[in-house]
Amino acid sequence: MFCYGGNILKVDLTTGEGIKKPLDEKVALRYLGGDGFGAYFMNKIVNPKVDAFSPDNALIIAPGLFVGSGVPTGGKTAFFSKSALNGGWNESVMGGQIGLALKQAGYDVLIIEGKSDKLSYLLIDDNNVLIKSAEHLQGNTTRETAEKIKKDEGDFIVASIGIAGENLVRFASIDCEERQAGRGGMGAVMGSKNLKAIAVRGNNDIKIAKPDKMYRLIEKYYEIMINHPSFNDDGKYGTGEFLEWMNNERGTFPTRNWREGVFDGRKEIDPYYWAPRYAIKNKGCLQCTKPCGKAFVMKEFKGAIDGIEYETLFSLGSNCGIEKVEYVAKANEICDLYGIDTISAGGVVGFAMDLYENGVIGKDDLGLEIKFGDGEALLEILKKIAYRDGIGDILANGVRIASQKIGKGAEKYAVHVRGMEPPAYDVRGIKGMALAFMSSPRGACHLRSGAYALELTGKFWKYEGVDRLSSENKGKEIADMENFMAVYDALGVCKFSRGIFLLNFDEMLEASIGKKMGEDELLFIGERICNLKHIFNIKAGWKKEDCKLPDKIHIPIPEGVSKGSYVSREEEEKMLLDYFNARGWDKNGIPTRKKLEELGIKEFIE
Amino acid sequence: MYVKAIPEKCCGCLFCETVCSLWHWNVINKYKSGIRVHKKSVIEDIPSVCSHGNLCNFECIEACKFDAMKKKNGTVYVDYKNCTGCRACEKACPLNAVWIHEKKAYKCDLCGGDPQCVKFCSQNALVMEV
Repeated sequence: MFCYGGNILKVDLTTGEGIKKPLDEKVALRYLGGDGFGAYFMNKIVNPKVDAFSPDNALIIAPGLFVGSGVPTGGKTAFFSKSALNGGWNESVMGGQIGLALKQAGYDVLIIEGKSDKLSYLLIDDNNVLIKSAEHLQGNTTRETAEKIKKDEGDFIVASIGIAGENLVRFASIDCEERQAGRGGMGAVMGSKNLKAIAVRGNNDIKIAKPDKMYRLIEKYYEIMINHPSFNDDGKYGTGEFLEWMNNERGTFPTRNWREGVFDGRKEIDPYYWAPRYAIKNKGCLQCTKPCGKAFVMKEFKGAIDGIEYETLFSLGSNCGIEKVEYVAKANEICDLYGIDTISAGGVVGFAMDLYENGVIGKDDLGLEIKFGDGEALLEILKKIAYRDGIGDILANGVRIASQKIGKGAEKYAVHVRGMEPPAYDVRGIKGMALAFMSSPRGACHLRSGAYALELTGKFWKYEGVDRLSSENKGKEIADMENFMAVYDALGVCKFSRGIFLLNFDEMLEASIGKKMGEDELLFIGERICNLKHIFNIKAGWKKEDCKLPDKIHIPIPEGVSKGSYVSREEEEKMLLDYFNARGWDKNGIPTRKKLEELGIKEFIE
Repeated sequence: MYVKAIPEKCCGCLFCETVCSLWHWNVINKYKSGIRVHKKSVIEDIPSVCSHGNLCNFECIEACKFDAMKKKNGTVYVDYKNCTGCRACEKACPLNAVWIHEKKAYKCDLCGGDPQCVKFCSQNALVMEV
């Protein structure tokens, strides 16, 4: 098989056994790679009923089909597991190099099951698979862990967790070369397996079906990308480039735990302010030709940090009312080193600040004062979360569980959908995204649909004239976009390239694997993947009622361009039913037999 | 003529490694690339690539006992029929710009005058020095 590693590796940390099996070509063509393989193997292997921290849960890693193909921006690798935040489906896609190393080692899917009896790391060197003691790495940061393993083992690519993952913080992340699989607590699942790191070296060739054709396609798309407007915008200012636009032109930049949609103190967290001062060069994901990452140097730090992304400028910035970018950068660094998802981290700290300001919890509960805008408090709380110290032990469970534990009406300040803290889109003024938060298989998420761009600009792909303030006709739009994005996650293509490639991958598929697939065929696979994720969720106990939006989304935006807009409970229900209908599911969100037969996946419910 | 690396601009995407191995060998394999990028820290992505005598004294040619490291029109290249993968060149190179993979040496050969890594470096971190 061209462009595939050709095998699946299954490692049981309990027994220490590793089994290598060939990848079935039929499965490859039906699911492509990355997200598709995750959807297939999660359903095949993981018992959806087990606890996320049970040894019977699995951590699955699958590089996208285009990883190691040369397709520009096609270097993404996906991680899968049961969510530590809600016990359902979880996936997190990153641009680190581990996927390429796995493919060169001959693996398209790495499945890790069981639990090691002491803190360990997994070493994969082509066919040699070893579980080694990581007791000397206990408490180390993600970066220290990677550095020490590389020093001991050599030229390996390392994915690691920090103290937060070891301490089962329910939104702990996995780091690989400064890229993170952040969402849904993938790092905590790794921690629950006593797995500190995964180190991979692969020496084999990745064979390309039509190398000359691939070269010409690289030439073509490289030219398009470096001449694209986003090349300069993202190159200079990173993903936060449109922050001011979100604030002023759309009024949908969530602020102070979703009280407001405009952040009045945004001036210095805007990349137009900080990039010229602190960013010294760009950082790219694997195989990227239009990098948007930023290396950030401040004299307050000993070294440099990676960041800061748009979502983080919201979560650790506006959502906590932080006006000084220096604090956002420090908080970002703490999250990356301790291994914490920055989006959930800011959601949790903003929630705690809101509780404090509203008198639900006091200084005695917290051990400190935490008002919106207090940068020192933000840093302090993050450390407490990572170490599960004091109030940090409660907050480390995410806002949903924390609010239940705190009680006293804390629930109404907890902004989440299905236990996951949402990203930087005030969906009160982006109603299609409100639906996307509800329909996403992993909880409040902007990436499964990526529909924010379509909603905010009104047009993308086959859609135009979309009204973000309307709740009409959103079901098919979001289902279509989820299918579209599932293709991107299966192929491993960066979503910031979606405006360039759309679904025109037939030539690149022919060049890489030797088989053309057009838009319709890819969308059909995307739909199959989305349905499989949903089947996993249903088996794990998903209920329609769990998808509801947080209370704050039912309160109108107080100021700015979107002033007065909110999502009513009726709209919430209407959009969800519209979505189920578009998906061919019944009114309770259960896929019909007909739909599953059509997609060729009815075996998964029998 | 040689490829000069400017680490201060390198973003660590490894696209140079990818296109180099594809162009030379029709496969993707970072160990068969004539350029390698090593990440030393968050800001230090260090491309290693041969200077073809401009920043060294042809230590690889000197060290090779099998007449596998040769020079033609200012370009140092590997003569694969002679290379045994003994690692003498790898050890001798002061720029860490030669490496051994499966008993063969890999290094920059300037792609016949149009280095692919330079052509596809989106950050202009690789430039031709004449």
